[in-house]
Amino acid sequence: MRSRRLALASVITASSLAMAGCGSKGEEQIEGAASSGRLAIGASLSLTGQLAREGLLTKEGYQLCQDKVNAKGGVDIGGKKARLDIQYQDDTSKPDVAAQLVDQFNDQGVKLILSSYGSANTEAQAAVVERNGQVMADSAGADNKIFSKGYERTFAVLSPATEYASSIVKAIAELATPKPRTIAFLSADDGFSKTVTQGGIKTAEGLGFTVLDSQFFPSGATDVSSALTRVKGKNPDVIIGSVHLVEGVAIIKQARELEVTPAAFGETVAPPTPDFAKSLGAQAENVLGSSQWTHVTAGQDKYFGTAKDYARDIQAKFGHAPEYHNAEATAACLSFALAAEKAGSSDADKVRDALSGLDTESFFGRIKFDATGQNIFKPMSVIQIQNGKAVTVWPKESAEAKMIWPGTKQ
Amino acid sequence: MSAFLQATVYGLLQGGLLALVAVGFSLVWGVMNVVNLAHGAFVILGAYIGWGMHQEFGLDPFLGMFVSAAVLFALGYVTQRLLINLVVNGPIFITLLLTFGLELVMVQGMNLAFSADFRSIETSYAGESLALGSVRVPVGRLLAFALAVAITFLLVALVTRTRTGMSIMATGMDRGAARLMGIRARHVYALTFGIATALAGMAGAMIGTVGTFSPAAAGSFTLMSFVVAVLGGLGNMYGALAGGLVIGLVQAWGGQYLPGTWVNALAFLVLIIVLVVRPTGLVGKAFYAARLEV
Repeated sequence: MRSRRLALASVITASSLAMAGCGSKGEEQIEGAASSGRLAIGASLSLTGQLAREGLLTKEGYQLCQDKVNAKGGVDIGGKKARLDIQYQDDTSKPDVAAQLVDQFNDQGVKLILSSYGSANTEAQAAVVERNGQVMADSAGADNKIFSKGYERTFAVLSPATEYASSIVKAIAELATPKPRTIAFLSADDGFSKTVTQGGIKTAEGLGFTVLDSQFFPSGATDVSSALTRVKGKNPDVIIGSVHLVEGVAIIKQARELEVTPAAFGETVAPPTPDFAKSLGAQAENVLGSSQWTHVTAGQDKYFGTAKDYARDIQAKFGHAPEYHNAEATAACLSFALAAEKAGSSDADKVRDALSGLDTESFFGRIKFDATGQNIFKPMSVIQIQNGKAVTVWPKESAEAKMIWPGTKQ
Repeated sequence: MSAFLQATVYGLLQGGLLALVAVGFSLVWGVMNVVNLAHGAFVILGAYIGWGMHQEFGLDPFLGMFVSAAVLFALGYVTQRLLINLVVNGPIFITLLLTFGLELVMVQGMNLAFSADFRSIETSYAGESLALGSVRVPVGRLLAFALAVAITFLLVALVTRTRTGMSIMATGMDRGAARLMGIRARHVYALTFGIATALAGMAGAMIGTVGTFSPAAAGSFTLMSFVVAVLGGLGNMYGALAGGLVIGLVQAWGGQYLPGTWVNALAFLVLIIVLVVRPTGLVGKAFYAARLEV
């Protein structure tokens, strides 16, 4: 009896020592990822809370990446195949939790991090990643602010925030006849949206438009009537909203209620989201939006093929049409796979160096990073809601349809 | 001037909508002394029911809201009897904790059942507006406003003219004495909670008609209800309407003359000022702030 207890005690002691060993030797564990046939990646995601919708789309993107890469046997690291092993945690849409989870991954020896959704979460994570010597592929944090702090270990596959409204302005300048003269920006007051607005104003002024005073409202506002009433008297030719879906829908609904009728509405990320056209019905017609990716984006890669192939895979696996949130998540994961292959190692520093030198075409367009870690080499697409569907109208090379102008019945 | 008038009209209508959302919250707090943190979740559930009725059966939200009300009345009644009644005598923290937990469960449940997608009940008329000179009066919001006013008057009639209503008020004032008079407090509480959730359901259907909703919006409706209820004051059925209209106007005027991001801060500033000058709220009764339950 005594010997049995003794044996049990030694088993418990041995296993706790082994577990403690795992924690403290995280570095070695990840170094050995290739030989163990597994490349561990940590992903904190907004699966509940305010960003649950986008969080789920991001997760789908990561999941598809893991499936497709592993279907080819995994990532080729120095001649040995390592299967992607993405570990998920829910950050409840809160930046401080997202940052804590990155720390937790570090404690477990997970050095490669896929970002959460949105600039606020990503910004919080980037600071921790830098401190811990981890490396992060950023799938959805577009605010230029994240990249102005001298961080060297965060790489965003998506176009920076300054391009969101800017690309709509460029499309209008190039395609609209008669060319409008005045633009009013309505913006949510979060950091990302403000950066979007600044970028848009700069481009608009550069292209010779008269820019009216910008109007701000709280992020997530469902009532933007004050902002609309204030611009109504100035009769802008174009109203561009730097908004998320909720504020975007509110602008269109309340503009109709208040009879604010510019020649066109543009609304950054709201119109590409299917809920936009579903919520607004006919009112959504001809609203312009900007998108990180559409199913006609040019480029291809060995894992996902073209944007059309990617769209088909998302549809088959998840039963819905792809959204750009899916694609940017997959692209971030893809950048890790390609960087690890290029580095021939799963070591965080080597993967970081490989990422900074990465220059590749993909289903998501070109992936290449500038010195700050932003992908300024990929153009954004401008879409317009036509017959209830978001169709690409700019850039001209990948346009599916002509831009309808004016976009409203004035 | 026309911008000021427009802001005033819009603020009043928005205030009516806020009052509709908050009236049930205020009722439960006033009568049962329970701050129901799950109130916003009931509003969203009501919106989903109204949306479902419209999607599946093409039912207009102004009819669908009665289905919402009926379903949520039953749900509220049962929730009170089986759950909230367990802690109704407990310290306020316990009721807060329970209703907060209930909110989490409901919001996550709706996330799973309906996904986190944004929804809206689309009607041909809600987005239209009437022209009064240079001022536009949106039809959907006008109807929601009329509903808020009608419900307030109905509630007043209920508590002053019917035996059921009077027993609700009596239980709210002094549960011990009400029991001695033969009032079944448990039933009255459940009835009150049911009425409150039914009203939340109707408000939800209106929210879905004039705006968008998703499970994540529940928290903001609870917060707004809290502000409106405190501002208006407890123990008076006109409280929510008064509070809602003031907040609506303050936000509309503030948005017109101050930077737009200040509107929420402004709403709370008004709340603080009113509480300093009139601690019982605009039309509330002092008794409700200091009562003891036996």
